[in-house]
Amino acid sequence: MGDSATALRGELRRLVADHLPPDFLGAFTDDPADLKLTQNFCRLLAEQDLLCLAWPPEYGGRGASAWEQTVVREEMWAHHEPRGAQYMGVNWVGPTIMRHGTAEQKRLHLPAISRGEVIWCQGFSEPNAGSDLASLRTAARRDGDVWHISGQKIWTSYATMAQWCFLLARTSRGEKKQQGITVFLVPMNSPGIEVRPIRTIIGPHHLNEVFFDNLQVTDADVLGQVDEGWRVAQEVLAFERVGIARYARCERLLHAAPAALGDQWDALPADLRGRWARMLTHCRRARLLAYRVVAQQAEGRVQPGEAAPYRIAVTRLDQDSAEVLTEIVGYLPAAGDAAERFRSEVEDHWRYSRASTVASGSIEMQRILLARSMLAAGTTPPDGPARLAVA
Amino acid sequence: MNIELSAEAAEYGRQALQAFGQAGGDELVAAAEAEPGRRESLVAPVLGELGAWQLNPRGDGAELEAAAALCRSAGYWAVPYPIAERLARPLDLDVDGLVVVAGQRPSGPVAGLSLRWSAVTVDGRRSLAAERPSSEPARMSAFVTELDLKPAGGDGAQDVALGLVLPCWTLLGMLDRAIQLTREHVMVREQFGHPLSTFQGVQFQLTDAEVERRGVEALAKYALWSIQDDLPEAVEDALALRLAAVEAAGTVFAVAHQLYGALGFCDETTLSWLSRYSEPLRRLPLGRTATLDELTRRAGSRGLTGLYSGPAAGVAQGGLAMAPDEASLSSRVPGQAERRVPVAEAEAP
Repeated sequence: MGDSATALRGELRRLVADHLPPDFLGAFTDDPADLKLTQNFCRLLAEQDLLCLAWPPEYGGRGASAWEQTVVREEMWAHHEPRGAQYMGVNWVGPTIMRHGTAEQKRLHLPAISRGEVIWCQGFSEPNAGSDLASLRTAARRDGDVWHISGQKIWTSYATMAQWCFLLARTSRGEKKQQGITVFLVPMNSPGIEVRPIRTIIGPHHLNEVFFDNLQVTDADVLGQVDEGWRVAQEVLAFERVGIARYARCERLLHAAPAALGDQWDALPADLRGRWARMLTHCRRARLLAYRVVAQQAEGRVQPGEAAPYRIAVTRLDQDSAEVLTEIVGYLPAAGDAAERFRSEVEDHWRYSRASTVASGSIEMQRILLARSMLAAGTTPPDGPARLAVA
Repeated sequence: MNIELSAEAAEYGRQALQAFGQAGGDELVAAAEAEPGRRESLVAPVLGELGAWQLNPRGDGAELEAAAALCRSAGYWAVPYPIAERLARPLDLDVDGLVVVAGQRPSGPVAGLSLRWSAVTVDGRRSLAAERPSSEPARMSAFVTELDLKPAGGDGAQDVALGLVLPCWTLLGMLDRAIQLTREHVMVREQFGHPLSTFQGVQFQLTDAEVERRGVEALAKYALWSIQDDLPEAVEDALALRLAAVEAAGTVFAVAHQLYGALGFCDETTLSWLSRYSEPLRRLPLGRTATLDELTRRAGSRGLTGLYSGPAAGVAQGGLAMAPDEASLSSRVPGQAERRVPVAEAEAP
């Protein structure tokens, strides 16, 4: 990470302390002020060249290292992601457009993302295409210069607040289901789009259904080549391999627990304090596994199976730590703002953690990827002396 | 810290692995169990060739890493010799090795060797240790013997972390091997007309074990770095590693035995030997519960050093404290080339 990353961490913590209220729990509450807060925070980050610091300088970024990006991931997630929904645009929509977009698409989208002015949603999952994404059925039919898109997406985060959708649709039938998929960049205010919020345990304004009824777009809205969208989607998934730094929030809350309990800490049952210490060990474990993936990614040698152990460990940590913290909350003092804030944070963490083994590639998919990597013909376990023994 | 062992240490570990293999490999432990009197002579030549006793893990970070790599390679073959304990020897006592002890019956895997031992408790009390004669066969004792202790001077605080961490590297080597063996077994063993590895239930057990093993690997390197940098929390870091290693061993060997079926219990399988000889490492000086108790006691309300363990990282947001490890960790993490690598965290359930 280096000194610059350490300085960056301090800079981000100062911004969080100065610009977010102590009871901030993210953008997706019933209070519209929280969404507004995240939009303002994104503009603030943009003004200080911190929003897109990983982007190349030619697109307004700082060309930050993978380690500086890791610091951003950690600090933002630890503090309830004050970038709100915009982290998606910054982290993978923008970079994907840089790689595959036309000059016009870059001109239209990249400045808006880098200024913190636009929210994107991801039109991937469908009722019958979740983990099996390539089975998607939303169809785009060409008629002259116009594409007519009809179908349904589901579990679409941020669709109610997004201005644009990164949409996967089927444009032809190939030999394999991965063939014939195309990426469209779709304005969410277009006629033919209906968003229906799904109130869920993880937050009232997070997940949605999105219906497309003869949505009309043009070739100018196609990202990359027609029928080649699966390759683009794979790149998006590659950007996601490290994923959310869930361990950072777990660790911050676990470390905050003794202060929140004050004198009550020593009165906790020994078993519960033991589980707390064990969770801190698991936080460290997940963080080190993440750093290993980051190091590999920085060297351009990370494979899906390499990231899977981290993803499995960190999503389990998320849920296990939420359980421990929720039990600790039962011993909080009856009154006090600090105690109440801690209780709210833990409650939010517990609810959100329900989805951690499902979201962004379920834990079963991660286990499948890891198994595939372990069992691949002609390979041996990737680490340690075992490699030599078999060679 | 570096999140990988140095290239030199890794290479030394590979050489050690080959050397142990050429010296008998899996046969070493069987031969030592059959004839405990040969225990030393079976491995002394190869350890001498490897220059094992010239390593000074207390004096040099590179040699500490090499010592860890040697222990890992020894674990891979279940080498029947207390290599980690000998490498951990205190330099200010006229002894050949160090055993960390606890409880009412201090013990260590040092039976039948004509060596001089010291011992240290987890809270740093040092002793000279003498092997208590025992007639228990090696098959039952796995070369563990009780020790008679006589207080010795000096501060044992420096001994504890090293004495806890190096055996965890040995155990890690055993986990490497157990997973490798299990992988190979499920790929060739067929049931219902298909290799076991094609069944998702089997795959998922294997992946659960592998996640645990990788976690130990990461924490083992961290604990090593904590010793190298002489951090005040090195013992806590060693205990955190030990907790993870003991829990991982429980998972890995349970999975390995389950997937091997009855074959895994037989003397003709390496897994059976690994499993039996992992027991001293898993139970001594502290088993899982005792390790967690000790870690919890030491952690107090401070916890483990991490991103948010500083004094300002309380309930209120925006604490500015840096984790004590932050600067040094970050300054030496590999892969810092100024590449633009957009790392995304999209999270669309």
